[in-house]
Amino acid sequence: MNAAALAYLGAGIGIAGAALGAGIGIGNLAAPAMEGTARQPEAANDIRTSMIISAALIEGVAIIAEIVAILLVFTTG
Amino acid sequence: MTTLLRRSLAVLAAGLVLAVAPAAAQSAPDSESAQQHSNAQQSSHGGEGDHAEEENTGNPGAVSHSADGNYLNFEPFGIVELPRLFLTNTAGGGIGFEAFGSSKAALKSGEYTLAHPDSAGASLTDTQVQDALASSHHDYLYFTMQKAGAGSILVDFSITRHLVAVFATALLLVILALGVARRYKRGLGREEAPRGTWQNMVEVMIVFMRDEVAKPALGRHYKSYLPYLLTVFFFILIGNLLGLLPWGITATSNIMVTGTLALFTFLITQFSGTAEYWKHTLNPPGVPWFVKPFLVPAEIIGLFTKPLALAFRLFGNMMSGHIVLISMIGLIFIFTAQFGVGIGTGSIIVSVPLTIFMYGIKLAVSFIQAYIFVILSALFIGLAIEEHEDQHDEVDETEAVEAGSRPHDDIDGFMDRSEHFGPQGKRMVSGDGETAPAGQTAISQPAG
Repeated sequence: MNAAALAYLGAGIGIAGAALGAGIGIGNLAAPAMEGTARQPEAANDIRTSMIISAALIEGVAIIAEIVAILLVFTTG
Repeated sequence: MTTLLRRSLAVLAAGLVLAVAPAAAQSAPDSESAQQHSNAQQSSHGGEGDHAEEENTGNPGAVSHSADGNYLNFEPFGIVELPRLFLTNTAGGGIGFEAFGSSKAALKSGEYTLAHPDSAGASLTDTQVQDALASSHHDYLYFTMQKAGAGSILVDFSITRHLVAVFATALLLVILALGVARRYKRGLGREEAPRGTWQNMVEVMIVFMRDEVAKPALGRHYKSYLPYLLTVFFFILIGNLLGLLPWGITATSNIMVTGTLALFTFLITQFSGTAEYWKHTLNPPGVPWFVKPFLVPAEIIGLFTKPLALAFRLFGNMMSGHIVLISMIGLIFIFTAQFGVGIGTGSIIVSVPLTIFMYGIKLAVSFIQAYIFVILSALFIGLAIEEHEDQHDEVDETEAVEAGSRPHDDIDGFMDRSEHFGPQGKRMVSGDGETAPAGQTAISQPAG
Protein backbone atom coordinates (compact mmCIF):
# COMPACT_ATOMS: atom_id res chain seq x y z
CA MET A 1 0.00 0.00 0.00
CA ASN A 2 1.59 3.24 -1.08
CA ALA A 3 1.42 6.68 0.51
CA ALA A 4 -1.38 8.00 -1.69
CA ALA A 5 -3.60 5.02 -0.92
CA LEU A 6 -2.97 5.45 2.79
CA ALA A 7 -3.84 9.14 2.50
CA TYR A 8 -7.14 8.37 0.73
CA LEU A 9 -7.93 5.75 3.36
CA GLY A 10 -7.08 8.16 6.15
CA ALA A 11 -9.22 10.92 4.62
CA GLY A 12 -12.15 8.57 4.23
CA ILE A 13 -11.98 7.19 7.76
CA GLY A 14 -11.31 10.63 9.19
CA ILE A 15 -14.27 12.29 7.49
CA ALA A 16 -16.49 9.38 8.54
CA GLY A 17 -15.49 9.90 12.17
CA ALA A 18 -16.05 13.63 11.90
CA ALA A 19 -19.47 13.12 10.33
CA LEU A 20 -20.37 10.65 13.09
CA GLY A 21 -19.30 13.08 15.80
CA ALA A 22 -21.04 16.05 14.22
CA GLY A 23 -24.18 13.98 13.68
CA ILE A 24 -24.31 12.93 17.32
CA GLY A 25 -23.57 16.48 18.39
CA ILE A 26 -26.24 18.10 16.25
CA GLY A 27 -28.71 15.39 17.20
CA ASN A 28 -28.06 16.00 20.88
CA LEU A 29 -28.49 19.70 20.27
CA ALA A 30 -31.60 19.63 18.09
CA ALA A 31 -33.71 17.22 20.14
CA PRO A 32 -33.84 19.35 23.33
CA ALA A 33 -34.25 22.47 21.21
CA MET A 34 -37.30 20.91 19.54
CA GLU A 35 -38.66 19.86 22.93
CA GLY A 36 -38.08 23.31 24.29
CA THR A 37 -39.82 24.92 21.34
CA ALA A 38 -42.77 22.57 21.66
CA ARG A 39 -43.10 23.21 25.37
CA GLN A 40 -42.64 26.95 25.10
CA PRO A 41 -43.47 28.18 21.58
CA GLU A 42 -43.09 31.81 22.63
CA ALA A 43 -39.36 31.19 23.23
CA ALA A 44 -38.91 29.67 19.75
CA ASN A 45 -36.88 32.60 18.41
CA ASP A 46 -34.37 32.64 21.26
CA ILE A 47 -34.02 28.87 21.16
CA ARG A 48 -33.53 28.89 17.40
CA THR A 49 -30.83 31.56 17.56
CA SER A 50 -28.80 29.89 20.26
CA MET A 51 -29.32 26.51 18.59
CA ILE A 52 -27.88 27.85 15.34
CA ILE A 53 -24.87 29.32 17.14
CA SER A 54 -24.15 26.00 18.84
CA ALA A 55 -24.78 24.08 15.64
CA ALA A 56 -22.32 26.35 13.86
CA LEU A 57 -19.69 25.66 16.51
CA ILE A 58 -20.24 21.91 16.30
CA GLU A 59 -20.19 22.05 12.52
CA GLY A 60 -17.00 24.10 12.70
CA VAL A 61 -15.14 21.12 14.12
CA ALA A 62 -16.51 18.90 11.36
CA ILE A 63 -15.46 21.52 8.81
CA ILE A 64 -11.91 21.50 10.17
CA ALA A 65 -11.92 17.73 9.70
CA GLU A 66 -13.21 18.26 6.18
CA ILE A 67 -10.34 20.65 5.41
CA VAL A 68 -7.83 18.12 6.72
CA ALA A 69 -9.41 15.42 4.54
CA ILE A 70 -9.34 17.69 1.48
CA LEU A 71 -5.68 18.49 2.14
CA LEU A 72 -4.91 14.78 2.48
CA VAL A 73 -6.59 13.98 -0.81
CA PHE A 74 -5.29 16.86 -2.89
CA THR A 75 -1.70 17.10 -1.65
CA THR A 76 -0.95 13.43 -2.16
CA GLY A 77 -3.15 12.69 -5.16
CA MET B 1 -48.53 40.90 -18.45
CA THR B 2 -46.56 38.29 -16.54
CA THR B 3 -48.16 35.42 -18.41
CA LEU B 4 -47.22 37.13 -21.67
CA LEU B 5 -43.65 37.45 -20.42
CA ARG B 6 -43.60 33.83 -19.33
CA ARG B 7 -44.93 32.67 -22.67
CA SER B 8 -42.44 34.70 -24.63
CA LEU B 9 -39.62 33.33 -22.45
CA ALA B 10 -40.76 29.79 -23.18
CA VAL B 11 -40.82 30.55 -26.90
CA LEU B 12 -37.36 32.07 -26.63
CA ALA B 13 -36.04 29.00 -24.83
CA ALA B 14 -37.57 26.69 -27.41
CA GLY B 15 -36.05 28.77 -30.17
CA LEU B 16 -32.64 28.59 -28.56
CA VAL B 17 -32.85 24.81 -28.29
CA LEU B 18 -33.90 24.56 -31.92
CA ALA B 19 -31.07 26.84 -32.97
CA VAL B 20 -28.45 24.94 -31.01
CA ALA B 21 -29.58 21.43 -31.94
CA PRO B 22 -28.53 21.53 -35.63
CA ALA B 23 -25.15 22.92 -34.62
CA ALA B 24 -24.73 20.02 -32.22
CA ALA B 25 -25.83 17.56 -34.87
CA GLN B 26 -23.30 19.07 -37.22
CA SER B 27 -20.52 18.87 -34.68
CA ALA B 28 -21.25 15.24 -33.84
CA PRO B 29 -19.72 13.72 -36.99
CA ASP B 30 -16.82 16.10 -36.56
CA SER B 31 -15.99 14.81 -33.12
CA GLU B 32 -16.36 11.24 -34.35
CA SER B 33 -13.86 11.75 -37.09
CA ALA B 34 -11.60 13.48 -34.58
CA GLN B 35 -11.79 10.40 -32.42
CA GLN B 36 -10.86 8.19 -35.33
CA HIS B 37 -8.03 10.53 -36.06
CA SER B 38 -6.77 10.34 -32.51
CA ASN B 39 -7.10 6.56 -32.55
CA ALA B 40 -5.06 6.41 -35.71
CA GLN B 41 -2.48 8.66 -34.17
CA GLN B 42 -2.44 6.55 -31.08
CA SER B 43 -1.75 3.36 -32.97
CA SER B 44 0.95 5.01 -35.01
CA HIS B 45 2.69 6.33 -31.92
CA GLY B 46 2.24 3.10 -30.04
CA GLY B 47 3.05 3.10 -26.33
CA GLU B 48 3.37 6.84 -25.99
CA GLY B 49 -0.15 7.47 -27.21
CA ASP B 50 -1.51 4.95 -24.71
CA HIS B 51 0.45 6.63 -21.99
CA ALA B 52 -1.11 9.99 -22.80
CA GLU B 53 -4.56 8.44 -22.92
CA GLU B 54 -4.38 6.53 -19.66
CA GLU B 55 -2.31 8.58 -17.29
CA ASN B 56 -2.49 12.14 -18.54
CA THR B 57 -6.12 12.65 -19.48
CA GLY B 58 -6.41 14.86 -16.42
CA ASN B 59 -9.94 13.50 -16.20
CA PRO B 60 -11.18 14.67 -12.82
CA GLY B 61 -14.18 12.32 -12.72
CA ALA B 62 -17.19 13.26 -10.63
CA VAL B 63 -15.47 16.30 -9.15
CA SER B 64 -15.32 18.06 -12.54
CA HIS B 65 -19.08 18.52 -12.32
CA SER B 66 -18.66 21.10 -9.57
CA ALA B 67 -15.03 22.07 -10.15
CA ASP B 68 -13.97 25.27 -11.86
CA GLY B 69 -12.92 25.24 -15.50
CA ASN B 70 -12.47 27.32 -18.63
CA TYR B 71 -15.58 26.09 -20.39
CA LEU B 72 -19.35 26.04 -20.17
CA ASN B 73 -20.64 22.51 -20.37
CA PHE B 74 -23.79 22.08 -22.47
CA GLU B 75 -22.80 18.49 -22.98
CA PRO B 76 -25.26 16.87 -25.35
CA PHE B 77 -24.96 19.97 -27.51
CA GLY B 78 -21.31 20.75 -27.00
CA ILE B 79 -18.86 22.75 -24.96
CA VAL B 80 -18.43 26.51 -25.09
CA GLU B 81 -14.86 27.51 -24.37
CA LEU B 82 -14.23 30.70 -22.45
CA PRO B 83 -11.55 33.27 -23.28
CA ARG B 84 -8.09 32.88 -21.79
CA LEU B 85 -6.32 35.99 -20.55
CA PHE B 86 -2.74 35.74 -19.33
CA LEU B 87 -0.44 38.27 -17.70
CA THR B 88 2.98 36.89 -18.56
CA ASN B 89 6.64 37.32 -17.82
CA THR B 90 8.10 37.66 -21.29
CA ALA B 91 11.44 36.22 -22.33
CA GLY B 92 12.97 39.70 -22.38
CA GLY B 93 12.13 40.26 -18.69
CA GLY B 94 9.14 42.53 -19.27
CA ILE B 95 5.49 41.95 -18.55
CA GLY B 96 3.12 41.12 -21.35
CA PHE B 97 -0.59 40.54 -21.69
CA GLU B 98 -2.00 37.94 -24.01
CA ALA B 99 -5.62 37.15 -24.79
CA PHE B 100 -7.07 34.18 -26.66
CA GLY B 101 -10.63 33.40 -27.59
CA SER B 102 -10.39 29.88 -26.17
CA SER B 103 -7.99 27.34 -24.71
CA LYS B 104 -7.85 25.68 -28.12
CA ALA B 105 -6.75 28.92 -29.77
CA ALA B 106 -4.07 29.42 -27.13
CA LEU B 107 -2.73 25.92 -27.71
CA LYS B 108 -2.90 26.17 -31.49
CA SER B 109 -0.96 29.44 -31.45
CA GLY B 110 2.01 27.40 -30.24
CA GLU B 111 2.82 29.86 -27.49
CA TYR B 112 1.20 27.79 -24.79
CA THR B 113 1.40 24.16 -23.84
CA LEU B 114 -0.08 21.91 -21.19
CA ALA B 115 1.63 21.35 -17.85
CA HIS B 116 2.46 17.79 -16.88
CA PRO B 117 0.04 16.85 -14.08
CA ASP B 118 2.53 14.74 -12.14
CA SER B 119 5.87 16.55 -12.30
CA ALA B 120 5.95 20.27 -11.56
CA GLY B 121 7.49 22.51 -14.21
CA ALA B 122 7.51 19.88 -16.94
CA SER B 123 5.14 20.07 -19.86
CA LEU B 124 3.55 17.48 -22.09
CA THR B 125 5.23 16.61 -25.36
CA ASP B 126 3.90 18.01 -28.62
CA THR B 127 2.30 14.73 -29.63
CA GLN B 128 0.54 14.48 -26.28
CA VAL B 129 -0.79 18.02 -26.69
CA GLN B 130 -1.98 17.17 -30.22
CA ASP B 131 -3.67 14.04 -28.86
CA ALA B 132 -5.43 16.05 -26.19
CA LEU B 133 -6.53 18.63 -28.77
CA ALA B 134 -7.87 15.94 -31.06
CA SER B 135 -9.66 13.98 -28.34
CA SER B 136 -13.43 14.01 -28.47
CA HIS B 137 -13.62 14.57 -24.70
CA HIS B 138 -11.86 17.94 -24.83
CA ASP B 139 -9.09 16.51 -22.65
CA TYR B 140 -6.97 19.64 -22.95
CA LEU B 141 -9.50 21.60 -20.88
CA TYR B 142 -8.60 19.68 -17.74
CA PHE B 143 -4.88 20.55 -17.79
CA THR B 144 -3.12 23.58 -16.41
CA MET B 145 -1.67 25.80 -19.12
CA GLN B 146 1.94 26.72 -19.34
CA LYS B 147 3.98 29.05 -21.51
CA ALA B 148 5.80 27.18 -24.24
CA GLY B 149 9.48 28.09 -24.45
CA ALA B 150 10.82 31.08 -22.50
CA GLY B 151 8.71 33.11 -20.10
CA SER B 152 6.01 32.10 -17.65
CA ILE B 153 2.45 32.95 -16.72
CA LEU B 154 2.41 35.60 -14.00
CA VAL B 155 -1.33 35.75 -13.38
CA ASP B 156 -4.03 33.73 -15.08
CA PHE B 157 -6.91 36.19 -15.56
CA SER B 158 -8.94 33.73 -17.61
CA ILE B 159 -12.70 33.88 -17.27
CA THR B 160 -13.83 30.65 -15.64
CA ARG B 161 -17.25 29.07 -15.45
CA HIS B 162 -17.67 30.01 -11.80
CA LEU B 163 -16.90 33.61 -12.68
CA VAL B 164 -19.58 33.44 -15.36
CA ALA B 165 -21.96 32.07 -12.73
CA VAL B 166 -21.07 34.90 -10.33
CA PHE B 167 -21.79 37.46 -13.07
CA ALA B 168 -25.04 35.75 -13.96
CA THR B 169 -26.08 35.67 -10.30
CA ALA B 170 -25.22 39.32 -9.80
CA LEU B 171 -27.02 40.34 -12.98
CA LEU B 172 -30.11 38.34 -12.04
CA LEU B 173 -30.02 39.81 -8.53
CA VAL B 174 -29.81 43.37 -9.83
CA ILE B 175 -32.61 42.88 -12.36
CA LEU B 176 -34.96 41.17 -9.89
CA ALA B 177 -34.18 43.48 -6.96
CA LEU B 178 -34.43 46.68 -8.97
CA GLY B 179 -37.74 45.54 -10.41
CA VAL B 180 -39.19 45.05 -6.94
CA ALA B 181 -37.61 48.24 -5.61
CA ARG B 182 -39.22 50.26 -8.39
CA ARG B 183 -42.60 48.83 -7.46
CA TYR B 184 -42.22 49.90 -3.84
CA LYS B 185 -41.05 53.32 -4.95
CA ARG B 186 -44.25 53.68 -6.97
CA GLY B 187 -46.20 52.78 -3.85
CA LEU B 188 -47.27 49.32 -4.93
CA GLY B 189 -46.78 47.21 -1.82
CA ARG B 190 -46.74 50.13 0.60
CA GLU B 191 -50.14 51.66 0.00
CA GLU B 192 -51.72 48.48 -1.27
CA ALA B 193 -50.95 44.79 -1.11
CA PRO B 194 -47.92 43.54 -3.09
CA ARG B 195 -48.84 41.94 -6.39
CA GLY B 196 -47.27 39.12 -8.34
CA THR B 197 -45.31 36.04 -7.30
CA TRP B 198 -41.89 37.57 -7.12
CA GLN B 199 -42.85 40.64 -5.10
CA ASN B 200 -44.77 38.56 -2.57
CA MET B 201 -41.93 36.10 -2.25
CA VAL B 202 -39.34 38.82 -1.80
CA GLU B 203 -41.44 40.68 0.74
CA VAL B 204 -41.83 37.54 2.85
CA MET B 205 -38.10 36.94 2.84
CA ILE B 206 -37.13 40.54 3.48
CA VAL B 207 -39.56 40.89 6.38
CA PHE B 208 -38.34 37.59 7.80
CA MET B 209 -34.71 38.71 7.53
CA ARG B 210 -35.53 42.03 9.16
CA ASP B 211 -37.67 40.78 12.02
CA GLU B 212 -36.16 37.37 12.77
CA VAL B 213 -32.51 37.88 11.91
CA ALA B 214 -31.41 41.50 11.89
CA LYS B 215 -33.47 42.94 14.74
CA PRO B 216 -32.74 40.28 17.40
CA ALA B 217 -29.05 40.05 16.49
CA LEU B 218 -28.19 43.69 15.88
CA GLY B 219 -30.60 45.56 18.14
CA ARG B 220 -31.23 49.17 17.32
CA HIS B 221 -28.38 49.35 14.77
CA TYR B 222 -30.06 46.89 12.47
CA LYS B 223 -30.89 49.40 9.76
CA SER B 224 -27.30 50.11 8.78
CA TYR B 225 -26.48 46.41 8.33
CA LEU B 226 -29.73 45.21 6.79
CA PRO B 227 -28.77 46.10 3.18
CA TYR B 228 -25.60 44.03 3.41
CA LEU B 229 -27.39 41.07 4.99
CA LEU B 230 -30.17 41.13 2.40
CA THR B 231 -27.74 41.43 -0.50
CA VAL B 232 -25.69 38.49 0.73
CA PHE B 233 -28.82 36.45 1.39
CA PHE B 234 -30.25 36.92 -2.07
CA PHE B 235 -26.87 36.54 -3.75
CA ILE B 236 -26.22 33.20 -2.05
CA LEU B 237 -29.80 32.08 -2.61
CA ILE B 238 -29.79 32.87 -6.33
CA GLY B 239 -26.29 31.42 -6.67
CA ASN B 240 -27.38 28.19 -5.00
CA LEU B 241 -30.56 27.90 -7.05
CA LEU B 242 -28.77 28.59 -10.36
CA GLY B 243 -26.77 25.42 -9.79
CA LEU B 244 -29.96 23.37 -9.68
CA LEU B 245 -31.01 24.34 -13.20
CA PRO B 246 -30.05 22.12 -16.13
CA TRP B 247 -26.48 23.01 -17.20
CA GLY B 248 -26.41 25.32 -14.23
CA ILE B 249 -23.23 26.29 -12.48
CA THR B 250 -23.09 26.80 -8.72
CA ALA B 251 -20.91 29.81 -8.02
CA THR B 252 -21.15 29.09 -4.29
CA SER B 253 -19.44 25.72 -4.73
CA ASN B 254 -16.20 27.63 -5.23
CA ILE B 255 -14.20 28.34 -2.09
CA MET B 256 -13.02 31.67 -3.56
CA VAL B 257 -16.59 32.96 -3.91
CA THR B 258 -17.66 31.91 -0.42
CA GLY B 259 -14.32 33.09 0.95
CA THR B 260 -14.90 36.54 -0.53
CA LEU B 261 -18.38 36.71 0.98
CA ALA B 262 -16.98 35.65 4.36
CA LEU B 263 -14.21 38.24 3.98
CA PHE B 264 -16.84 40.96 3.66
CA THR B 265 -18.48 39.77 6.87
CA PHE B 266 -15.07 39.65 8.56
CA LEU B 267 -14.18 43.21 7.50
CA ILE B 268 -17.57 44.62 8.48
CA THR B 269 -17.36 42.87 11.84
CA GLN B 270 -13.88 44.19 12.61
CA PHE B 271 -14.47 47.73 11.36
CA SER B 272 -17.77 48.14 13.20
CA GLY B 273 -16.36 46.66 16.41
CA THR B 274 -16.68 48.93 19.42
CA ALA B 275 -13.84 49.72 21.83
CA GLU B 276 -15.59 47.40 24.25
CA TYR B 277 -15.36 44.57 21.72
CA TRP B 278 -11.62 45.02 21.25
CA LYS B 279 -11.12 45.25 25.01
CA HIS B 280 -12.96 41.98 25.51
CA THR B 281 -10.87 40.39 22.77
CA LEU B 282 -7.40 41.69 23.60
CA ASN B 283 -7.66 42.21 27.36
CA PRO B 284 -10.70 40.38 28.70
CA PRO B 285 -11.89 41.92 31.97
CA GLY B 286 -12.62 39.75 34.98
CA VAL B 287 -10.15 37.06 33.95
CA PRO B 288 -7.19 36.01 36.15
CA TRP B 289 -3.85 37.24 34.77
CA PHE B 290 -2.41 33.74 34.30
CA VAL B 291 -5.27 32.70 32.05
CA LYS B 292 -4.84 35.66 29.71
CA PRO B 293 -1.75 34.34 27.83
CA PHE B 294 -3.91 31.37 26.76
CA LEU B 295 -7.21 33.16 26.35
CA VAL B 296 -6.09 36.12 24.25
CA PRO B 297 -4.44 34.06 21.46
CA ALA B 298 -7.48 31.83 21.40
CA GLU B 299 -9.70 34.91 21.04
CA ILE B 300 -7.52 36.25 18.22
CA ILE B 301 -7.58 32.91 16.40
CA GLY B 302 -11.33 32.90 16.95
CA LEU B 303 -11.60 36.15 15.01
CA PHE B 304 -10.34 34.35 11.91
CA THR B 305 -11.86 30.91 12.34
CA LYS B 306 -15.39 32.27 12.47
CA PRO B 307 -15.44 33.67 8.90
CA LEU B 308 -13.32 30.73 7.74
CA ALA B 309 -15.92 28.31 9.03
CA LEU B 310 -18.58 30.49 7.37
CA ALA B 311 -16.84 30.13 4.01
CA PHE B 312 -16.16 26.41 4.35
CA ARG B 313 -19.68 25.61 5.52
CA LEU B 314 -21.29 27.09 2.42
CA PHE B 315 -18.62 25.71 0.09
CA GLY B 316 -18.75 22.23 1.60
CA ASN B 317 -22.53 22.02 1.55
CA MET B 318 -22.83 23.17 -2.04
CA MET B 319 -19.98 21.10 -3.46
CA SER B 320 -20.80 17.89 -1.62
CA GLY B 321 -24.44 18.11 -2.65
CA HIS B 322 -23.52 18.30 -6.32
CA ILE B 323 -21.01 15.49 -6.06
CA VAL B 324 -23.61 13.31 -4.34
CA LEU B 325 -26.10 14.09 -7.14
CA ILE B 326 -23.68 13.16 -9.92
CA SER B 327 -22.54 10.07 -8.00
CA MET B 328 -26.09 8.80 -7.67
CA ILE B 329 -26.76 9.26 -11.37
CA GLY B 330 -23.33 7.76 -12.01
CA LEU B 331 -24.34 4.57 -10.20
CA ILE B 332 -26.34 3.62 -13.30
CA PHE B 333 -23.24 3.74 -15.46
CA ILE B 334 -21.04 2.06 -12.88
CA PHE B 335 -23.48 -0.85 -12.63
CA THR B 336 -23.75 -1.00 -16.43
CA ALA B 337 -19.98 -1.20 -16.77
CA GLN B 338 -19.62 -3.77 -13.99
CA PHE B 339 -22.58 -6.10 -14.41
CA GLY B 340 -24.00 -5.40 -17.85
CA VAL B 341 -26.89 -3.48 -19.34
CA GLY B 342 -29.66 -5.42 -17.55
CA ILE B 343 -28.57 -4.65 -14.02
CA GLY B 344 -27.53 -1.17 -15.08
CA THR B 345 -31.03 -0.46 -16.37
CA GLY B 346 -32.51 -2.00 -13.22
CA SER B 347 -30.47 0.30 -11.02
CA ILE B 348 -32.40 3.24 -12.49
CA ILE B 349 -35.27 2.22 -10.21
CA VAL B 350 -33.08 2.94 -7.19
CA SER B 351 -30.85 5.63 -8.58
CA VAL B 352 -33.32 8.10 -10.02
CA PRO B 353 -35.65 8.34 -6.98
CA LEU B 354 -32.59 8.77 -4.77
CA THR B 355 -31.38 11.56 -7.03
CA ILE B 356 -34.76 13.28 -6.98
CA PHE B 357 -34.81 12.98 -3.19
CA MET B 358 -31.32 14.52 -2.96
CA TYR B 359 -32.39 17.24 -5.37
CA GLY B 360 -35.25 18.12 -3.04
CA ILE B 361 -32.84 18.19 -0.11
CA LYS B 362 -30.52 20.44 -2.08
CA LEU B 363 -33.41 22.77 -2.81
CA ALA B 364 -34.03 23.07 0.93
CA VAL B 365 -30.30 23.34 1.64
CA SER B 366 -30.06 26.26 -0.80
CA PHE B 367 -32.42 28.26 1.39
CA ILE B 368 -31.08 26.97 4.71
CA GLN B 369 -27.45 27.71 3.90
CA ALA B 370 -28.23 31.23 2.69
CA TYR B 371 -30.19 31.78 5.90
CA ILE B 372 -27.43 30.34 8.09
CA PHE B 373 -24.75 32.41 6.40
CA VAL B 374 -26.77 35.55 6.99
CA ILE B 375 -27.82 34.80 10.56
CA LEU B 376 -24.25 33.96 11.54
CA SER B 377 -22.98 37.12 9.85
CA ALA B 378 -25.60 39.11 11.76
CA LEU B 379 -24.64 37.43 15.02
CA PHE B 380 -20.92 38.08 14.52
CA ILE B 381 -21.58 41.73 13.71
CA GLY B 382 -24.02 41.90 16.61
CA LEU B 383 -21.39 40.59 19.03
CA ALA B 384 -18.97 43.24 17.81
CA ILE B 385 -21.33 46.21 18.12
CA GLU B 386 -22.99 45.10 21.35
CA GLU B 387 -22.73 47.58 24.22
CA HIS B 388 -21.23 45.70 27.15
CA GLU B 389 -22.65 47.43 30.18
CA ASP B 390 -21.85 44.92 32.90
CA GLN B 391 -23.68 46.76 35.67
CA HIS B 392 -26.70 47.15 33.47
CA ASP B 393 -26.70 43.52 32.42
CA GLU B 394 -27.11 42.26 35.98
CA VAL B 395 -30.10 44.49 36.56
CA ASP B 396 -31.57 43.27 33.31
CA GLU B 397 -31.11 39.66 34.30
CA THR B 398 -32.91 40.03 37.63
CA GLU B 399 -35.68 41.89 35.89
CA ALA B 400 -35.87 39.16 33.31
CA VAL B 401 -36.17 36.52 36.02
CA GLU B 402 -38.99 38.40 37.67
CA ALA B 403 -40.70 39.10 34.39
CA GLY B 404 -40.24 35.50 33.30
CA SER B 405 -42.26 34.14 36.18
CA ARG B 406 -45.22 33.49 33.93
CA PRO B 407 -43.56 30.68 31.92
CA HIS B 408 -42.50 29.09 35.21
CA ASP B 409 -46.09 29.14 36.33
CA ASP B 410 -47.01 27.38 33.15
CA ILE B 411 -44.48 24.67 33.85
CA ASP B 412 -45.70 24.32 37.42
CA GLY B 413 -49.20 24.00 36.13
CA PHE B 414 -48.04 21.33 33.76
CA MET B 415 -46.29 19.44 36.55
CA ASP B 416 -49.35 19.69 38.75
CA ARG B 417 -51.44 18.30 36.00
CA SER B 418 -49.16 15.33 35.47
CA GLU B 419 -49.19 14.62 39.20
CA HIS B 420 -52.94 14.53 39.10
CA PHE B 421 -52.86 12.26 36.10
CA GLY B 422 -50.54 9.80 37.85
CA PRO B 423 -52.52 8.27 40.73
CA GLN B 424 -55.86 8.46 38.97
CA GLY B 425 -54.55 6.62 35.95
CA LYS B 426 -56.94 8.51 33.67
CA ARG B 427 -57.76 12.05 32.66
CA MET B 428 -59.52 14.15 35.26
CA VAL B 429 -60.86 16.44 32.56
CA SER B 430 -63.72 14.52 31.09
CA GLY B 431 -65.41 16.89 28.66
CA ASP B 432 -63.30 19.20 26.53
CA GLY B 433 -59.78 17.87 26.67
CA GLU B 434 -58.63 20.00 23.74
CA THR B 435 -58.70 23.26 25.69
CA ALA B 436 -55.71 22.96 27.95
CA PRO B 437 -56.15 26.21 29.94
CA ALA B 438 -59.71 25.32 30.81
CA GLY B 439 -58.59 21.84 31.76
CA GLN B 440 -56.00 23.29 34.09
CA THR B 441 -58.60 25.07 36.19
CA ALA B 442 -60.72 21.98 36.26
CA ILE B 443 -57.78 19.97 37.54
CA SER B 444 -57.00 22.36 40.39
CA GLN B 445 -60.48 21.85 41.81
CA PRO B 446 -60.04 18.37 43.29
CA ALA B 447 -56.66 19.40 44.75
CA GLY B 448 -58.17 22.40 46.55
